[in-house]
Amino acid sequence: MPNKGPKGRKNIILVFSILLFSLALMSISAKQQEGLSFLDSLAGLILSPFQNLFTQSVQSVSDGIDHYFDLVNVSKENEQLKLEVERLVHEKNELIERISRQKRLAGLMAYQDDRKKESLVASVIGRDATQWSKVVVIDKGSRHGIKRHLAVVTNSGVIGQIIHAGPTTSKVLLTIDSRSAVDSLFQDSRVSGVVVGTGEEQCEIKYVPNTAKIKVGDRVLSSGLGGIFPKGLFIGTVSQVVKKKQGLFQEITLAPSSDLSKLEEVLVFLS
Amino acid sequence: MIHSMYYLAQILIVIILFSIQTTWLGMFSIGGVVPDLALIWVVYCSVHCSRAMGIGSGMMIGILQDSLSGGLLGVNTLSKSFIGLFFSALKDKFYVEGVIPVAFFMIVSSLFDGLVFYFSMNTVLEGEVATSFLYQALPAYSFYNGMVGPVLFIVLNRLENWLKLKTLDPYMARGK
Repeated sequence: MPNKGPKGRKNIILVFSILLFSLALMSISAKQQEGLSFLDSLAGLILSPFQNLFTQSVQSVSDGIDHYFDLVNVSKENEQLKLEVERLVHEKNELIERISRQKRLAGLMAYQDDRKKESLVASVIGRDATQWSKVVVIDKGSRHGIKRHLAVVTNSGVIGQIIHAGPTTSKVLLTIDSRSAVDSLFQDSRVSGVVVGTGEEQCEIKYVPNTAKIKVGDRVLSSGLGGIFPKGLFIGTVSQVVKKKQGLFQEITLAPSSDLSKLEEVLVFLS
Repeated sequence: MIHSMYYLAQILIVIILFSIQTTWLGMFSIGGVVPDLALIWVVYCSVHCSRAMGIGSGMMIGILQDSLSGGLLGVNTLSKSFIGLFFSALKDKFYVEGVIPVAFFMIVSSLFDGLVFYFSMNTVLEGEVATSFLYQALPAYSFYNGMVGPVLFIVLNRLENWLKLKTLDPYMARGK
């Protein structure tokens, strides 16, 4: 009983210290994000070699698992033959992967030429470290000319913007992240709105008046306002429209231009 | 020297867990939900290590997670530090071993982690998280962590025993 007092006080002091430290971090980073970006850079520098290694080994590991299940019931007589087939399949997969990568890169290059903007092709090497944020890590950083607030696209359209550029890697905030907002307009009706992330697989378009004629399948483009995304980039397609009797604005759900969970190569607009 | 090897190995485990979290784990997502290996590591450290290391690892992992998520610093630092503090205090009072207790405490800590994120985003920070998060993503995330937690605990237990044998004095390792 006599020990409970000091121990309790110690716990209270600890709780307040953690609260104060965390709140101080939040307010400092909210005010001067650049000031604390060394932490991001340091974490990126430490993790990026491991991320590269793990990403490259994914394909071979998944191939290994697939082939393991195929080979469980193979008899000894056929083992050599199966291994030969496996080697050929592996080679074929590698070639298919190379061809599909070339196709994707050609698509990006054609898109790059069409836009006539200085840009850089980057590969996705990592994803968000928490469940809640929708961020990907790319293998190009400030050494390659990347800086904050540059637009990131694929040949399908907008996917996000750079929120942090380390020396060799950068973080891209995807349009589906709840912190993302992109000024936009509907391609047909030219009504404007703001595309915001929901933290899930889809986006919402806010501030579209109830009087505007919007239907499922309408295409949404970037408006060029805000200075990050050039005008006319495809953001996504309307997948649901809800008009409420009360309220000024419609509730519109948007399917992003590409499947953001399967990004491999992206294009960063450098200006 | 031997002790520093032990701590170095633990840092390497953290780096590997983060690398898996940011690369491979997407393959195991169910409806866009993946388990949080960092959270499981913090609970593991708090239960198995000293009080200072439990709280310290919670804070360091939180800062690292904040840095890697590209958001404002502090949200994960807050939740992970409190989880570290909570389990460091709890380990003397409850038996946090075995599949069911570990799964239960993983679910509780995941709910706490998600609630800290939700309230921080909707009050202090710029973002806006839909209310559906509370009854869709958060329960799924907690349940997934509750499933993966006990498995990772077993793996980490074996790894730690092996590490102690290799890096610490054999007499001390047996004593622990």
